[in-house]
Amino acid sequence: MRSVARSQLVSSALVALVALVVGFLLAGQVKAQLLTPSNQVARNQALIRSVQDLERANEADRQRIAALRAQIASLEADAAGRSNATQTLQNQVADLRAHAGLTALHGPGVQVDLAGGPPSRDSTGQQRYLITYQDVQDVVNLLFAAGAEGISVSGRRITPLSAFSGSGNEIVIDQGPPLFAPIRIVAVGDRNRMQAALQDPSALPSLRVRQAQYDVMIKVTGSPDLSLPAYDASLEAAHARAI
Amino acid sequence: MPGRSRRARSAYGAIAVWVIALLVALVATIQLRSQAEVERSLQGADPATLAFSIDQLHQANDSLEVQIADLSQQQRALQSGGAPAADQVLAAEAEQLRVIEGLVPVHGPGVVVVIDAPGLTALDLQDALNSLAFGGGEAMAVNGLRFVVGVPIEQTDSGVTIAGAVVLPPWTIAAIGDPNRLAETAELMTQQLHGDRRVREASYRVAADIVIRAVVSERPFVYAVPPP
Repeated sequence: MRSVARSQLVSSALVALVALVVGFLLAGQVKAQLLTPSNQVARNQALIRSVQDLERANEADRQRIAALRAQIASLEADAAGRSNATQTLQNQVADLRAHAGLTALHGPGVQVDLAGGPPSRDSTGQQRYLITYQDVQDVVNLLFAAGAEGISVSGRRITPLSAFSGSGNEIVIDQGPPLFAPIRIVAVGDRNRMQAALQDPSALPSLRVRQAQYDVMIKVTGSPDLSLPAYDASLEAAHARAI
Repeated sequence: MPGRSRRARSAYGAIAVWVIALLVALVATIQLRSQAEVERSLQGADPATLAFSIDQLHQANDSLEVQIADLSQQQRALQSGGAPAADQVLAAEAEQLRVIEGLVPVHGPGVVVVIDAPGLTALDLQDALNSLAFGGGEAMAVNGLRFVVGVPIEQTDSGVTIAGAVVLPPWTIAAIGDPNRLAETAELMTQQLHGDRRVREASYRVAADIVIRAVVSERPFVYAVPPP
């Protein structure tokens, strides 16, 4: 009888121990697998809301800048109508503005569409199927080298001070909101030269390798008339002064 | 007694099965929910990307506000002054745009970055200049050759060229702009370059007044048509 009671006691202790272990494992599972992602989701949502608020402010500011530039041009045109000297200055500034990307342009050119391939990771864990800011930068540089006179990237005009940045698949140009693939690059200029440069197998080596290996899309279309929008963000040299 | 003992054992067994089933269901539910939530959180972007966006948008919006203030001031001057005021505004804008387009010699504070490495390519130089432009570079030159976006940097058999002129290493990049922002960028850039086995030297110095005398040749439009 005493041995039966002892074995029942041992069994109960074992069950209690197993239950305790299961309890700890469960608690760990809940903490690691449920609570953390929930917090991550909440954190991400808060970050996304912040980005959206900032993007709305960015959009409103850029609209205000475009409206102010239009009003200033109109006031200058009025003044130029009353003075030959002002007219001469206004013509000079109009030419400078056009070359700086501050006015819309149209003409023959090429359109380059870039899109990422199907999601996959290479052996180093990199997401090489994505289109990055460096891909966009490479295409823009190639087009300028091949005779582009004006370029826009997904509706954002490139200026002499434009800069590209980004993180992951996010592409940031100047003070605009982040862009994501598919990206459309429109270039006005020497259409034949730009098309030849884009077809050169030695050009855009990184994109070409990833086109073959990761199905990254590069589509080039020539056109007799393409339009570029005016630049609508900040363009100032606050520190550089003419000598 | 043996009958009661069997019934008791079978009741314990049933309870044990229910408890195990409950535990399995609980763990499975937790696992499925957590996976679904992780997937939802990845739909947009990861936190690092979102944090980068927030930082970039704050800086961008600050720049846009400064531009709005400057344009508003120009607008007020034009509204109140007639032709003389228009001449002043236009002359100031012309000078700004000539600086931005690299058409006139310039001076100002900034950084001078020196990179010496055999085997660096046109893409390396483009990356370096792009980083400095994103870091606030308003006027730049490489080995005395002026650079703005649109000036071709190409890889040739003779080496890297800027507007057709070869720039042999070491590259001395002068960048005029906000010296604090440029110094941060140059610090990061040189740190990264030190990790590149090709690089023999990567250094920078902040300067209170850098002079860039080189200019970019004007390229009149041949194909592009501005509005009338």
